[in-house]
Amino acid sequence: MTFQTYDCLQMLPIILLSLSGIALLFLGFQKSRALLLPATLLFLVIAFVANFLDWGKTYMYFRDMLLVNNLAMIFTGVVLLSTFMVVSLSGSLADDEDAQPAEYYAILLFSLVGAIMMIGFENLIMLFVGVEILSVAMYILTGSDKRNLRSNEAALKYFLMGAFATGILLFGIALLYGATGSFVLSGIGNYAHSATNAGGSMLLFYVGMFMLLIGMLFKVSAAPFHFWTPDVYDGAPSLFTAYMSTVVKTAGFAALLRILSVSFSGVYDFWWVAMAVVTVLTLLIGNITAVYQASFKRMMAYSSISHAGYLLIGLVGLSQASKPAIAFYSLAYSLSTIAAFGVLMLVARNRPLNAAVFGDQTTLARTDEHYDAFNGLARKNPLLGFVMAVSMLSLAGIPLTAGFWGKFMVFSAAADRGAVWLLVVAVLMSAVGIYYYFRVVIAMYFREGQTDTIRVAPFYRIVLIAATVLTLALGLLPNLFQGLI
Amino acid sequence: MNQFNTFLASFKNLTTAGYLFYGLGLITLISAISVVTAKNPIHSVLALIFTFFCLTGHYMLLNAQFLAIVNIIVYAGAIMVLFLFAIMFLNLKEEDEEAKTNVTKMAAVIVGGVLMVLLLSIFNYAPVGTYNPASFDAKTGLVERLGIVLYSDYILPFELASILFLVAMVGAVMLGKREAGDPHF
Repeated sequence: MTFQTYDCLQMLPIILLSLSGIALLFLGFQKSRALLLPATLLFLVIAFVANFLDWGKTYMYFRDMLLVNNLAMIFTGVVLLSTFMVVSLSGSLADDEDAQPAEYYAILLFSLVGAIMMIGFENLIMLFVGVEILSVAMYILTGSDKRNLRSNEAALKYFLMGAFATGILLFGIALLYGATGSFVLSGIGNYAHSATNAGGSMLLFYVGMFMLLIGMLFKVSAAPFHFWTPDVYDGAPSLFTAYMSTVVKTAGFAALLRILSVSFSGVYDFWWVAMAVVTVLTLLIGNITAVYQASFKRMMAYSSISHAGYLLIGLVGLSQASKPAIAFYSLAYSLSTIAAFGVLMLVARNRPLNAAVFGDQTTLARTDEHYDAFNGLARKNPLLGFVMAVSMLSLAGIPLTAGFWGKFMVFSAAADRGAVWLLVVAVLMSAVGIYYYFRVVIAMYFREGQTDTIRVAPFYRIVLIAATVLTLALGLLPNLFQGLI
Repeated sequence: MNQFNTFLASFKNLTTAGYLFYGLGLITLISAISVVTAKNPIHSVLALIFTFFCLTGHYMLLNAQFLAIVNIIVYAGAIMVLFLFAIMFLNLKEEDEEAKTNVTKMAAVIVGGVLMVLLLSIFNYAPVGTYNPASFDAKTGLVERLGIVLYSDYILPFELASILFLVAMVGAVMLGKREAGDPHF
């Protein structure tokens, strides 16, 4: 591989997203909010196109700061596509008196800059700044429903715990620098290779490595660093929960994949046991706790923990094959999660909680997000029922959906490394997953409920259909995507 | 006894910087411990400010003048003033102390102790790099060098950090802005 260094304006997505975020802040001065959503979507499309301009080439930007290659472009593409879909589901913000859509959209675009930094970083400083941009944006969006106490609580919890995790991450980076004398990923990787061969003491390196991994595992909500996830995902507005559980997770795993494959592959024998333990814990806790949830949204939070576990399997079986596997899994997971949250938002909006039963509305969630809300949904709203059913099937990993191939590719990457016992746990836990994903399907198709016909805006409908069609297309023809990498 | 003598001998052989380092280190540790043990939150904050000043001394010993000044301005100055404000607003009383159960305290002590033993043993065995005084560049850590590095090698993360601050500012204004119907303060 030859690197060409271009210290010029070729990292278009980052620049475009930063500028369009600022532009959106200015658009917020207008009285009318009608322009905000189309403008955001336009900016995202432009960034998406600009991202793929350099397809097939490998660049290293700004003195070993940012690497752009096909894999990074695909991850960036997944992140931009997810954001596009999440933003297009946000049409109701324009009518919400309490909402500030201009600021929300601007923060979303800025946070994408952080996500892209995490995807392509070559220097640990870039990783740190990227993680911080993404995390700070998420703390704010979690608390954006200011009148809702649960949202406030979630934001405060997320902020305090996230700040500690960032501290641990930073400590790890400092120790790695002390051990290797380098912030550059390949420099750290060279040290790991040569020091393992020389047989010297690498304690400082190991401590730094594990602290960095702990910080990153917190961000992707792997057990035992997952305790913040249910409360935060539950308390945040559904729109931003969808964003958090797709974009943040994709970026976090892209970053983990990058640092493990470039810097720490030389000491694979040392870290794989710890990562395997984390994986098993994540799978067990995520799946088994999800069974006991009464709220659909909280179930999705635990489901996102369990999917972090499946993605971790791809990291434990680190090889050339796990790169496309993790990218494909992220895409499949993002599509179905966004579709599921899209339906949830529609259903929940039509069912405001009864203040007399649930007490003061401001102290509790404003809408009903329990399984019962889906009772009989498919009778009156066959489209919503179908979208939800496909996304649940995909999350459960049933064949003919994208989720199946995602799991298949991740598992086969681990099978090549001989981690069969890990796969046994994973397959058992997928079986548990089928139970709680099918609860929604059963509620929609076989339970009686008094759901009315829900009015769906045309664009909203198109996005939901697109997510479903993509999920099915990738399930029938996974080679479409695989051929890209 | 023999070990004590060798310790004394090594102590006598220290340079001026060595005496300064150990003296400063002792004061830093004492003030850091008193941050945790002080009953009165105000005393705790004052001890923390003192700790930051000691750390600034350490930066000076490491030839990092810029970092030392920034440490005083940012940490001992701005952040600690914020801390004091917050504590005075909260008006903490002593009766809030009993929030933690004994189990929590025990767990905290065990976890903290294990981490301390681990880190101590690791730093004891880990190879720590040294420098050669003859070839050491005295300009390392000065503002001039820092500026050159920031605006050449690290220009990209340096510029992108502005996005981080922008997000934080927008968020602070958005979350802190008074909405129609909110109470006046």
